[in-house]
Amino acid sequence: MNAPRPVGWICGSILLFAFAAVLLPWIGPGSISLDRVLARTAPDYPIFVELRVSRTLLGLLAGGALALTGSLFQSMLRDSLASPYTLGVSAGASFGAVFTFALGLERLLGFPASWAGAIMGSTVVLVIVAGASWKGGQLSGVRLLLSGIALNSICSAFILLIDSVVHDHRTFSIVQWLIGSVDSVSYRALFVFAVVVAVASSIIISQARSWNLLAVGESWASARGVDIRRLTIIGYGCGSVLTAGAIALTGPIGFVGLIVPHLVRSRISSDNRVLMPCSLLLGGVLLATCDTIGRVVLAPAELPAGAVMALLGGPYLVWLVRKRF
Amino acid sequence: MSSLLAVRKVSHNYPGHPVLDAVDFSADGGEFLVLMGVNGAGKSTLLDIVGGLRAPHSGAVFLEGRELRSYPAKDRSRRISHLPQGTRQELPFTVEQVVLMGRYMYADRWFESDEDHSCGEAAMRRMDCLQFRDRQYSTLSGGEQQRVLLAACIAQCPRLMLFDEPSTYLDVHQQLQCFSTLAELAREGALCIAVTHDLNLALAHCSRLLILDRGEIAADFAAGDAAADSAWLSRLSPRLRMARTPEGKPWVLYR
Repeated sequence: MNAPRPVGWICGSILLFAFAAVLLPWIGPGSISLDRVLARTAPDYPIFVELRVSRTLLGLLAGGALALTGSLFQSMLRDSLASPYTLGVSAGASFGAVFTFALGLERLLGFPASWAGAIMGSTVVLVIVAGASWKGGQLSGVRLLLSGIALNSICSAFILLIDSVVHDHRTFSIVQWLIGSVDSVSYRALFVFAVVVAVASSIIISQARSWNLLAVGESWASARGVDIRRLTIIGYGCGSVLTAGAIALTGPIGFVGLIVPHLVRSRISSDNRVLMPCSLLLGGVLLATCDTIGRVVLAPAELPAGAVMALLGGPYLVWLVRKRF
Repeated sequence: MSSLLAVRKVSHNYPGHPVLDAVDFSADGGEFLVLMGVNGAGKSTLLDIVGGLRAPHSGAVFLEGRELRSYPAKDRSRRISHLPQGTRQELPFTVEQVVLMGRYMYADRWFESDEDHSCGEAAMRRMDCLQFRDRQYSTLSGGEQQRVLLAACIAQCPRLMLFDEPSTYLDVHQQLQCFSTLAELAREGALCIAVTHDLNLALAHCSRLLILDRGEIAADFAAGDAAADSAWLSRLSPRLRMARTPEGKPWVLYR
């Protein structure tokens, strides 16, 4: 009886996602002809497949991963401004990735070394933050936020430290990475990331009803049969994997994890059964769109997607804070 | 036939100090118990242990003759509802979404079944909040919010209902309505246990009082016998005196 409306929103988001995936690769400096792509002639075909399509897919996946993680952390911490940033997870991932740049590592076991760095960094930060917040068999939300913010500053300080110690072309690549951009990546990397996103998002979204109860309160949820400890471990585990993956491939792209869940919550529904799938899909659409805007507005120069997102997201956040608090 | 709830020699400590010391009582469906005691007497801890949210350090709680800890979480929550203290006011959900959370343990599918919806609707009608089912919870007044939370507990269809200070922040009329509902739920066969600090509100509605003092049960009596031996009043404050209403019911005066 109540099902059609939420199902409609989810279907609409799926359509928008598919539409973005099909349309966005065609937009950019220099037009691409469909005939020449189908005929596989240079330069249209390689540009389209190697640059445009892979970038669009990366934007869709990374934006979705970050937005879903944002909505997840907001439910878990019962704080509408929680996101991978507030918990220090993304700063940890950035620090790990920058560290591998500073060491001059390029590849590790066939994958970019920054992946390993980001995953290590976010895991270490998460273990430290969770360890500091663990008391009497449960995690305290306030402690998590406070130690997350502390770890965030510590990681940023280390990034500055590395940046000032290293003096050559590596500084440039660190700075460029820190702005956050959706660049072309190999299809192999994309495939691995797509599998990670698919698995982690399915696990998170399958628990949507439990996240709803947890968003009310811990004793509310556990009195209604939710296994809080198991759910908390699932949430932080999947959330940090998604964050680390997205950040390793794109750099620390801000705000998508904050804007999209808030937009969906205020315009569509705050029921996580609708909020989470819609955040995943629309977060991807938003980041891929920002990337497309970035490569068009100042063509032939490119504005990184992170900068476009910050220019759009910053004012939105200010407006949100003013409206809600 | 064992009673619905049996609390057997339950003791609990927080690091450094004992909270509950060999608490022992049993109760059955149809009773409305009020748990009273000064701040820090261990009321909320006892309620959490009875609700299965906390394991006691020693002793055990039995529900329908079976140890509470041996129930799987969902089975337990079909039998016990728990209204926590101080639920935050800015929940990002609509009234109906909050009430339907009381059906969590019954639904095994993505969206609630028709039965879940009709249980939720009946609970909302009963608590007089059906008219704002689509409103945001955060836009309601304190009394309305409390009615919504009570409706969520009722939608759970439990046999044992626990309420931690259900009348806090409510105006006088809402307090009376709230306690009348709890008494009514008990008359329909549920066992209701509420923590409150309002003596006369409790005396006018409940069937039995438990006075908790420094982790022990200091007194346990039927509400009608409250005036017979008023020594229990001194456990709460030296400034209380027992009197009677014109109808002859016990009434507590302040000095």
